[in-house]
Amino acid sequence: MRGARGQWRMGLVLLILVVLQFALRPLPGDPRIVRVAPDFLLLALLVYAIRARPGEGAIAGFLVGLVTDALSPDAFGAGALAHTVIGYFAAWGKAVFFADNLLVNAVFFFLGTWVRDVLVLLVGRHVEGSALLWQIGYLSPLKALTTAIAGILVLLVFRRWLDIRLSR
Amino acid sequence: MDLAPERFASRRDTLAFVICMMLSVILRVAPAGFQLYTAEVIRETVLFPFLKLQDQTVLLRTARAVAGLVDARRDSVAVDALALLQLQEENRRLRELLDLSERLPGGHVSADVLQQSAPSGITLLVSAGRDQGVQPMDPVVAPGGLLGAVQSAGRTTSVVLIWTHPDFRASAMTEDGSVLGIVAPWGSEGPDVQLMELRGVPFRQEVPQGVEVYTSGMGMRLGGVYPRGIPLGTVSAIGQEQEGWSRTYVLSAAVHPASVSHVIILTGAAQDVGAAFRPDSP
Repeated sequence: MRGARGQWRMGLVLLILVVLQFALRPLPGDPRIVRVAPDFLLLALLVYAIRARPGEGAIAGFLVGLVTDALSPDAFGAGALAHTVIGYFAAWGKAVFFADNLLVNAVFFFLGTWVRDVLVLLVGRHVEGSALLWQIGYLSPLKALTTAIAGILVLLVFRRWLDIRLSR
Repeated sequence: MDLAPERFASRRDTLAFVICMMLSVILRVAPAGFQLYTAEVIRETVLFPFLKLQDQTVLLRTARAVAGLVDARRDSVAVDALALLQLQEENRRLRELLDLSERLPGGHVSADVLQQSAPSGITLLVSAGRDQGVQPMDPVVAPGGLLGAVQSAGRTTSVVLIWTHPDFRASAMTEDGSVLGIVAPWGSEGPDVQLMELRGVPFRQEVPQGVEVYTSGMGMRLGGVYPRGIPLGTVSAIGQEQEGWSRTYVLSAAVHPASVSHVIILTGAAQDVGAAFRPDSP
């Protein structure tokens, strides 16, 4: 990654995203809105992973997954596994496709969020039947969409700090 | 998109991935007690400051909701207070109407104003009709004085032509009966008219400001409409002189139609109702 200054900036952006997860996400209060609100923790993981090696991405994913499991321990371990996969393959995928395109990043954030949700649901096995389909087919895509939009905003706002040259 | 094959995963990356996956699986299949304990430890340590932050966010949201509730209650109280004032005003009008009703000689019917014609504002729909004995051309009064006359009477409702109508005319006199004339709405602007005029007063008879003008009741035996003694208005100014032989005076109307919510329709054949409107006079 870049020098010490760049790492500090990167760390600050990640910290801001984590703070947003706990300060902004619960603000609407309505559970229907909170369920599809952007997942800033996952966004932080993806922003980090696309600048890290796959192993670092996997470890970061595991830690973020542990945090999410601690917050909702009904399928403990599922989050860690899903985030490990996402962290590893996000870093690996960015090694294959070096994208500075906004749309590619948006699709990346969208797929990352949706696949993470699918993995958590399948590994956790705590949601079944029509509720599972509803979650995978409706709620998760909605959350993936809001997360993708939030991700694009983060890239646009912090593009200098993250040292990226975005093309539209 | 550019291909960047030099950044593919190394063996060390793969090893880290496999170890993390194995740990995840172990945590997933671990006993529930261990899972809950681990979750609690993470929440009480790493996540503690962030959960505190979330707690503050929830408190802020709750405070905002409570503030909104307080605002809503304050607004409700303000609205209730306004409604109370309206009720007091309504009560006052009803008392005046009741007092007038008790003093009026002859037959009469009380009625509510159901609707004022819009946008003209020259007729009223009232809640009494033929079933209550109302007939066309019956005089309609409010506690302050004359409002108009029934234009048409339905079975349960009637249309009242009020004094702002351009065709309204009433034979009028001053209180002592020394000056006679004809009262009509001042100008021909229709609904915007809030003043009357007293026409045809002989030039040599001066009517000072503040003098009250009443219906004269002249012609009642010949098919006239308004009995004697109903207040019409108060002289407020001299209007114009006509060819040196008569004067017209401007009257401030005794009854403003927009403020009337209840009326009395005079159905009897009383010749003089002045005493009902002047309870303090001897």
